[in-house]
Amino acid sequence: MEKMTLSSKTREAQSANERWMRYLGFPGGILLFLVILYLPAGAGASASAQAGAACFALALVWWVTEPFPTYVTSLVLMFLLLVTRTSNAKAIMDVLGMEVIWLNLLAFILSSMLVKTRLAKRMALWLVLRFGHKASWALLAFVVLQLVLAPLIPATAARCVMTLPLMIVVATIYGSTEATPNNFGKNMMLLNLGCISVLSSVTMTGSSANLIAVGLIQNMGGHRVYYMDWMMLGAPVAIVTMLLMWILGQKLLFRIKPEEQVPQLEGGLGLVREQYESMGPLSFQEKKAIAIFGMVLFLWMTDIFHMRWFGVEISAPFAALLGAVVVLFPRWGILSWAEADIPWHLLIFSAGAYAGGLALDDTGAAEWGVRMLFGGMNLKGVPFGFTYTVVIAVMMYSHLLTTSKTVRTLIMIPIIITMAKALGWNPVSLALPAALCIDWVVGLPISGKPNVILFSTNQFTVGDNFKHGMLTCTIGVIILVLSGATWFHWLGITPAFWAVAP
Amino acid sequence: MRSLRLGAALLAASALALATELPSYQVRLTAARDGSARATATVLVGHCPAGLLVLPLGFSAPEDLKLEEAPPGTRLELGARDTVSTLRFQLPTALDAPVALRFSFLVKQPLQALKTAPGEKGALPAGSRLFRHGFVNTQETPIGVYRLEFLFPEGLIAQAVREQLPKLEKQETGPRVLLSVLDGQQAATLTYANVHQGDATSMAVELVPRQRSLGWLLAGVILAGLYLFYFRDLVAKKAS
Repeated sequence: MEKMTLSSKTREAQSANERWMRYLGFPGGILLFLVILYLPAGAGASASAQAGAACFALALVWWVTEPFPTYVTSLVLMFLLLVTRTSNAKAIMDVLGMEVIWLNLLAFILSSMLVKTRLAKRMALWLVLRFGHKASWALLAFVVLQLVLAPLIPATAARCVMTLPLMIVVATIYGSTEATPNNFGKNMMLLNLGCISVLSSVTMTGSSANLIAVGLIQNMGGHRVYYMDWMMLGAPVAIVTMLLMWILGQKLLFRIKPEEQVPQLEGGLGLVREQYESMGPLSFQEKKAIAIFGMVLFLWMTDIFHMRWFGVEISAPFAALLGAVVVLFPRWGILSWAEADIPWHLLIFSAGAYAGGLALDDTGAAEWGVRMLFGGMNLKGVPFGFTYTVVIAVMMYSHLLTTSKTVRTLIMIPIIITMAKALGWNPVSLALPAALCIDWVVGLPISGKPNVILFSTNQFTVGDNFKHGMLTCTIGVIILVLSGATWFHWLGITPAFWAVAP
Repeated sequence: MRSLRLGAALLAASALALATELPSYQVRLTAARDGSARATATVLVGHCPAGLLVLPLGFSAPEDLKLEEAPPGTRLELGARDTVSTLRFQLPTALDAPVALRFSFLVKQPLQALKTAPGEKGALPAGSRLFRHGFVNTQETPIGVYRLEFLFPEGLIAQAVREQLPKLEKQETGPRVLLSVLDGQQAATLTYANVHQGDATSMAVELVPRQRSLGWLLAGVILAGLYLFYFRDLVAKKAS
């Protein structure tokens, strides 16, 4: 509980199935790479897009089956992107300087501060004492925490960084560590991942991509979307989905055994209380950590006022950077550089994964995939409900093809608006529900910044992330379809599901 | 009185000039295996006064210029050739309703192989060809939509779109250069709407042979085979 070290050692295969997956994953990845590479060139895809898709598919198979540690796969991917001429050397190397990588690095400095001062431990012990008589309630406490934070801090990565030390320490209390992860840890990380992303769709200011979608709907679709319009549609869908995932995660996907429902520390809750009481009042170092974290938090929450106040916007990574400067300051700070646990192997994993994702965006492979999906279907003359379901499903699952919500919004929403007009539907009836899926980037560790950060805890595998993410998205699609037929229809957003356009 | 008449005439002339409308300007460039290419262009002209109509052309040295379709009596010739080519149409009568002006011309060697001096680093691999196209509206009349469709020669596919300018505006839906299939051939289409005087658009597409090297297949099979052999202990039954 006093440490948060993330080792770079390869996780041991747990079962015979996993060993076979590792053994066959290597040739399997190569096979998929070759199949995609040698497919006849697609009409709208360039050779570099095809090669990019082949490289990404290989990496995905290797990340899931883990014949190598994930960071080695990332390095292989970066090399493949270069030699297949998918990306140039500069574009690949520049990824290590991306905002998300910096934020990841700085997050670990801030987290180390919270761990060293034992503030994270104090907060986690309090949380467990207050809500954690059962593991389920501790998980629910995090759902509520993320729901409260979502409208206050639009940057998902910032929200993730803030709550990460708490997640790690609470997971440790329930016996899930980086070395021996258990199902509580998986639930903890993946439920938080879902909440951080999905709950951004509660409000239209939850992410900048939401606002881009609103702008497109207004400019191209001619319909103004107000704050409350969005919230009345988005909030119930997002909140109900995450509550369902809270239940399904622990009951279906990663079952928490009855004996894991209580804190795994010897002595149980009594020991937790004892440890909490033995910590005594807040130490000076803890108060300093609160002040530093409070300053960073304040900058994250007030980013819309920065330009007015300071004449410059201090973005989330720079706010964390300022915090890191204070934390590492000689004499007055809290940590020395050697005490900051920075998992470089995970930053390398993130960099490779982002390089692959960006290659899909830059070469047009992602856009081509989406166009093929929509273009391959003739939706003229079919009932609205069918078109609506197809649009929602494509929008929801298309996040697997791209790493940027903004890029996905700029590709998908105009296509959906144009398609709605061509089919004779009011553009807002398809585009607004589709826009509610923008933030649901939960399928892969590279689908969003929080995903990268949480994957670095080593508490879940790429396969776990995919399972949890796909279930979240599928529940989201079902709820959005049910809402489209009822709630959205009553609000005047969607026509009747069986209606056919004139 | 004379100056008044002159002023009135100038005003009328400028009003007529302003009334010229060019809703679309579309060029289809079909490249042949031998490296040459034939372009067919269709310019939709709305209202236009009789006399001279000058249009910009995005190719520097077109040859064999032919007027394919136009109102009777229309003449076409190539304008200045110093830096930018222009087309000069002589219209015998004013156009009151939209009319298509269709013309064609030959473009020699639209695909370039970048040559490197001895000792210099190469910019493109052997076998790669680059197609570049730029268009500037040098005339006063705005063009509704400028579109260039470039049909690749048989046996070549697009490796990547290396340049597509200008960047998309917020209200535009992309991409600026779209890869697709036209008349059974892979093609790149550059589209730019609302082209005012001085506006420029350009694209560069790198083309490579359709056939991929079998080196990837060979390397993949060898690596997979070596892994399956040397890592077989992963799934070997442990001796009891």
